[in-house]
Amino acid sequence: MNKDKIFKLAKGFRGRAKNCIRIARERVEKALQYSYRDRRNKKRDMRSLWIERINAGTRLHGVNYGNFMHGLMKENIQLNRKVLSELAMHEPYSFKALVNVSRTTFPGNKAVPKKEGLSSIL
Amino acid sequence: MATTIPTSAFIATPHRCSTGRSSAIWVQKAQFSASSSSLGVSLSLKRPSLRLVSVRCEANGAGMPVIPAEERWMYEESEINGPDIWNKTWYPKAADHVNTEKTWYIVDASDKILGRMASTIANYIRGKNLATYTPSVDMGAYVIVINAEKVAVSGQKRSQKLYRRHSGRPGGMKIETFDQLQKRIPERIVEHAVRGMLPKGRLGRTLFTHLKVYKGSEHPHQAQKPIPLPIRDKRIQFVKK
Repeated sequence: MNKDKIFKLAKGFRGRAKNCIRIARERVEKALQYSYRDRRNKKRDMRSLWIERINAGTRLHGVNYGNFMHGLMKENIQLNRKVLSELAMHEPYSFKALVNVSRTTFPGNKAVPKKEGLSSIL
Repeated sequence: MATTIPTSAFIATPHRCSTGRSSAIWVQKAQFSASSSSLGVSLSLKRPSLRLVSVRCEANGAGMPVIPAEERWMYEESEINGPDIWNKTWYPKAADHVNTEKTWYIVDASDKILGRMASTIANYIRGKNLATYTPSVDMGAYVIVINAEKVAVSGQKRSQKLYRRHSGRPGGMKIETFDQLQKRIPERIVEHAVRGMLPKGRLGRTLFTHLKVYKGSEHPHQAQKPIPLPIRDKRIQFVKK
């Protein structure tokens, strides 16, 4: 690539990396490598952000993410995590209904309280 | 199985100004998929009585101008229909994380296990309990800790847990035990615990400033009307054996 193209891509870089061709060429190559890698990473990061938001939203209703998704899968609700996270943020009542649907299907692993002594036999 | 979806679920109450009017229709679709799968019957009937009649040009307080069909090509989709909330993941605007409108929580640290309390505090400060959590933005709340000198630790930690610091010069490491530090500067114990649980970086340092630890039971933040921090950890209360 010729120098003009490199400098065009090097806009906003720090120090000599935006002005001097030898340094700019290296940084631009690295920047392009990072952008290639991060176009794939962005999909992963976004999904993990949706999952974190759904987790927070369901925990407000006393259900954690794992049990919630298990219940949704059992009910064959095909809403994806992107939409679920937007529902959790913008449509709280609808999201609560979804949490209830999931909870009726799969109530979650409630720890069975240990009964001591005679009551364990009864 | 017949699951009764409460009618309140159909009311889409946008609690943020940026919710577009498309939310009403999506609520219906989401409910259809839930109800049809659970009832095993595909409901292809239109139910117009449940669709919310929203006057589109007056949604958001007349923020969206009505554009005639001939001029639609001049504008972007977001200008015509409003922001696309279902395809673009929401990112908070400046108005969504104004410091003056954040919640303030208060925790009484007496006889609470240090680490468990610090963990819940860090979660609330970071904002991980909110559905609007964003890792790059400070969406969390402020937390006040009182009675910091009464915080409890289990086992032999009171005499054996070491707090180290280094002045930077050779041979400059200073070591203190838990109870020595508690006698000297009790607030630092809680601060050290929470700081270790917050992210390290520029954002983490500003988050740390949202933690306010005090020695006695008095704090100067009455004007912020702090609410008690909801703690769900059952083992946080120190039980003397």
